[in-house]
Formats: sequence, C-alpha cells, structure tokens
Amino acid sequence: MDAQDKGSDARHGPAEPGVPGPRAPLPGPVPPADGPSGPEPATPPEDERAAGAEEPPRDPSDEPRTGVAALSLRYRIGAALALAVVAVAVCVHLGMTFLHVAPPNTVSKKHSETIADWIYPEFEQNWKLFAPNPLQQNVSVQVRAEIRTPDGGSRTTGWYDLSAQDGRDIDGNPAPSHTQQNELRRAWDFYLSTHDDDNRPVGLRGALSESYLRRIMVMRLDRADAAGRDGEVARVQVRSRTTQVPPPSWSGEKVSDKAVYRVLPWWLLPEDEARGGIG
Amino acid sequence: MNRPSMAVSRAIARVADSALAPYQTAVLRIGFGLTWLLFLLREYPHRQELYGPDSPWSWDLAAQLVGSNDAFTVLLWSDSQVWFEAVYALAVLFSLLLLLGWRTRTMAALFMVGVLTLQNRSVFMGDGGDNVLHIMAVYLVFTRCGQVWSLDARRARRAEQARARGERTRDRVGPALWAVLGLVLLLGSLAGRTDGDWFIPALLWAVWLGQAVWWLAGRLARTDQPRILLDVVANVVHNGALLVIMAEACLIYATAGWYKVQGSRWQDGTAVHYPLHLEYFSPWPSLAELLTASGTLVMLVTYVTVVVQVAFPFTLFNRRVKNVLLSFMILEHAVIAVVLGLPFFSLAMIAADAVFLPTSFLRRTGRLAARARERLRPRGEAAPVPPRRRPDGAPAGPPAVAPAEAAPVTGRVPGPRT
Repeated sequence: MDAQDKGSDARHGPAEPGVPGPRAPLPGPVPPADGPSGPEPATPPEDERAAGAEEPPRDPSDEPRTGVAALSLRYRIGAALALAVVAVAVCVHLGMTFLHVAPPNTVSKKHSETIADWIYPEFEQNWKLFAPNPLQQNVSVQVRAEIRTPDGGSRTTGWYDLSAQDGRDIDGNPAPSHTQQNELRRAWDFYLSTHDDDNRPVGLRGALSESYLRRIMVMRLDRADAAGRDGEVARVQVRSRTTQVPPPSWSGEKVSDKAVYRVLPWWLLPEDEARGGIG
Repeated sequence: MNRPSMAVSRAIARVADSALAPYQTAVLRIGFGLTWLLFLLREYPHRQELYGPDSPWSWDLAAQLVGSNDAFTVLLWSDSQVWFEAVYALAVLFSLLLLLGWRTRTMAALFMVGVLTLQNRSVFMGDGGDNVLHIMAVYLVFTRCGQVWSLDARRARRAEQARARGERTRDRVGPALWAVLGLVLLLGSLAGRTDGDWFIPALLWAVWLGQAVWWLAGRLARTDQPRILLDVVANVVHNGALLVIMAEACLIYATAGWYKVQGSRWQDGTAVHYPLHLEYFSPWPSLAELLTASGTLVMLVTYVTVVVQVAFPFTLFNRRVKNVLLSFMILEHAVIAVVLGLPFFSLAMIAADAVFLPTSFLRRTGRLAARARERLRPRGEAAPVPPRRRPDGAPAGPPAVAPAEAAPVTGRVPGPRT
C-alpha cells in the first residue's frame, strides 16, 4: 500500500522550525554534482565524431579509444581523482539520506544539523506511506461566512462541507486533481501542525498557514456564490469534523460514530480578499 | 598480479569505461518525463489554482516561505501572469523533450528546473508522487540517460553513417542552445535570482560548463586524451547516480515497510481496509467495498504488502526472486493507481521500479515496440526517409532496437545483468 497519505503531508513539514533559514554554503561536500561532473552534454556526441573525422588525432595502433586503458598516466590520475570524489559523494549522500528517513537515533540526533544542511531544501523526503498506521479518520473541513449586504445588514450562511465537495469531485474520477485531493487536506494539516490547541500560530509558518487556509475558503465560497449577487464576505469561520472510519464489518470491532469538531475563531477578511480575487 | 588487485582493476574498469544500464536509465528518463508531462497536462485547467500568482497559496506567501527555506524556484523571479504561463508551458515542453531524448543532458537539467520550480512554488499541493519526481529529477541530471531509445541516439547513429559515407556533419543547434541557456543562467545569477540554496544553481553551472569543456576537448585538444578523460568522468558520475537512484528506490520501500511493521493495523491485518474508505482516496467506493469484502483476503494483502516492501532490498542479491517481487510491486502500484485514485504517484513509482528491470526484458519490449511501429507506418511514408543502414549491412532498425553500440559516446556499452 503505497499511496502516500501521512507521508506527503509531512513533506516540507519537518522543515518547520528546526530547519535553519538561509543556509550557509557548506564548503565541504558536494553531492555527486561536483566539479567535473556535468560533461557529456546532449550536444556534443556527434561533434566529437565530426571532429574526429576532420582531424584524425588518434594513432593508428589497435589501442582502445575509450576508457581508462586508453589514458596516459597523467590523465589516469585525473580519472582516479574523479572516481574518488564521486565515490565519497555517493556514500555521504546515501548516508545522509538514510539518516534523514530513519527514525531519530543516536547518530542522527548528534548530527541533526549537518544532516538538515545536506538534505534541505531539495532532498527532503518522507516515505512513511500509510505507516505506521493508515489514517483511520475522515476529516471534513467546513466553512461558513458572514455576508455583508449592500443595505448595511449582515447574515451568516450555513456550513459548507468543502471536503465532501472534494469527495464528490473525486468519485468516479480516474485522475483526481491535486486541487481536489491535496489542496484542502494538506492546508488543514499544515494549519494543525503550526498551531497549538488554542489555535495560536507558531512562528512564521503559523501565520502563513492561516492566510493560506483563509484564501482557500474565500476562493471556494466565491465559487459557491455564497455572498449572493451583491453581498460581500466579511468574515469566515472554519471548523473540522472528524469521524472514525467504520472498521470492517467482518472484524467485529466497534468504534464511536460520534463526530468530533474543532472550531476556529472567526477571521476577518482583508479588503482585497473580501472583494474576491483568488484563484 | 594477484587476485584481489585484478578484481579491483576490473571493477574500476567497469564503472569507468562505460555508463552502465543504458536501457534502465532510458526507461527512467521516459517514465519520469511521461509522468510529469501527463500530470502537467491533466492539471492544465487547474494550473492557476495550483501555481499561479493569484492562487490560494499566493505569490507573496510562497515568497515568504521560500525566503525561509531557500528552495529553488524560478516562478518567484516575477509575479506576472505572462511569466507564469511561459514557465508552465516550458515545463511541459521540457518534459516532452526529455521523454524523447532530444539533447538529453540539457533537457534533464531543464526538466529538473521545471519540476523544482513548480513544486517548490506550492509545496503544500504535492504528495508522495511529487516527492519521488522531485528527487529523481535531480538524480537524472547526473546520468547519461539518452544512450538508447532517444533522438540523441538516432542522431549519433546518423552522424556515424554520414561519416562512413565520408560526409561531414556539423551541429549548430547544440551550441546555439548552449549559448541561449548560458545567457539565461548568467542573467539570473547577475540579477541575484539564484541567491538561495547554492546547490541547484551550482549544478546548472556545472552542466553548462561541462558541455563547454567537452566541446572544447573535442575541437581544440591536440590529443584525444582530454576527451577520453571527460568520457570516463561522465561514466563514473553516471554510475554513481545510478547507484544512488537504486539505493533511493530501496530506501523508499524499506522505509515504507519497516515503519508499517510497527503499526497495529498492519499487524492485525486490517490496514488495507482503511485507506479504501477515506473520502479523499476512494474514487470507486463500490470497488473498494468489493475488494475489502473478505477479511482473509484483506489480511493476506496487508501482510504481503509489508513483507514485500521490507524484503525487496534484500532480494536484489537474487535475480529471480527480485524479478518476482518487482512484478508484484509494479502490479500493486497499478492497482493503487486506480483504487486509491493516485495515478501519478503510481506512475512515478513504477518508473522508479523500472531501474531494476532485466535488460533482456527491456530489449525484448523495445523490439516489440519497434515492430509495432514499423507495422503502423504506412508503406509510402517510408520512402522519403534516407536509407538507414547499419555498417554491417543489417536492416536499419528504429531506435528501439538500436543495440548498445548506438551509445553516443562510449561506443561499447556492455549489457549489464540486472
């Protein structure tokens, strides 16, 4: 079962507070990228041949024209050097990657900063696919809005179940879009991972996740035409409704079928968002 | 000479004299290129919402996050709509050209730029499939993945034939492409747009300079020694990257498997039931119902999944067992694609799996594909194509059947046993 669920959610998650901001360029190790690596461009192959045809530089003896055996001692030293650099880079990279994906352990805790420096931002990864346990809850993210009407009054809409909407869009869809499958789900996880239980944001990411979630709500309320013809969304409120996935009928296991809610405070919309202009 | 030193020198010759696994790396190239291409086309209607300047994860939010993690993305170079559309279109183009193997090394670098740019622009839109592509796109840049089944290989073959006929060929597209990309890279650097993490810009510069050095070594050098050295270095880098790709695939399975071993649901044999009943991963609820109707079956699938994932890295030591497990995993990913509604994740994983496919199987598949293509091509159309004939007089085969000697550079790529 490799669908990623928990896994992906954590992508760029771990980068959160622990990860240093601007990375000081490490002088030392370079992943296989290093110096002499890049060659063999898409371009040259026949250049080489063309060149060979024009000015035949090779000696007519039966020596092989490629490979280490065809190199003189000086060049062989260069090749040996390249081999050593690549070998070291490969070993270090694999070691770092291993420590990054392995559970926190003696070594990885001791060198956590070095590992983070090597891995982030481009080699971050999480392969706990449906592990250690698959998610066993359906989390529905819902929203309601306070609409300002032109006559100065206001009204509050009912709850829109946006996850249910996503679910309907995914039903019978052979290739669900990331906007249906990941957008709201991961935005909600992002919010949870950057807020404490009293909905107070933690760090820069907390603030970012709030703006992000709010903008998704505004976009989707706009699509549902929640504000009506000449109304304007003034505030939004988000809540989640969590229910247990019923255990298989043959297991005889029982879980509570009561939904658990988490209700966030009302959020005031900035002027530009109130007028709608997202997505 | 004594035995151990013989073995060592043989091993060195093996990794230095040829870029191993030409067919497997070609499949990686085609697989990842295709996955990203299909993904971009599928998301085309949703591109604004995913990566556009006014998406919910707005340009400003992304700029703040990237300012703190230094990820590489050219989409933050400008918040204009035109720039965004251009980058998206180019990402589509680069993945197509990589898939076809046109100027493979350059396209691999540009493909990586496309993947990283879009994914780093909106990290919270991605899932495990994006993660696989992200990492593999970087690794692909280090490989010589256009040795077979590519337009580059065909071009090299034609140049060879032209030379055999005594004609001179000259490449103008390559240097032009190189000059344009160098200019873009230089402008980007001068404008301070690559001031984030140093690794990706350095890699792009390395590829660009490497191409120049390669070209110069073929033109100016008095001996062929510099060119041979560069060839050896490219082989060593390719083989290193190949090892990293294989190890990465093993890490994916090992991590996925070993963490599952600890999970109570994987232990009690009901785990497979749950994802199939999540709102976000059940496009075919009645199919999911059918698949999880039998407790025994669910338990078996649950256990086999864990066993296969944990065992896979170890089976690499035995060719036959490895192939059995490999086909099982490819099959399982195909099922996941449909049942959980994760086609792009599954495609990316199948592409990664393909690095372990046996060469004989790949060549057979290539021959079948070539024959099918020959049959599809109308009779009349074949005429205008210049008679392609191999030096040995064998009938010209399409790229698919091109044996290893089509390798553009090394000239003698052994078919490795995988």
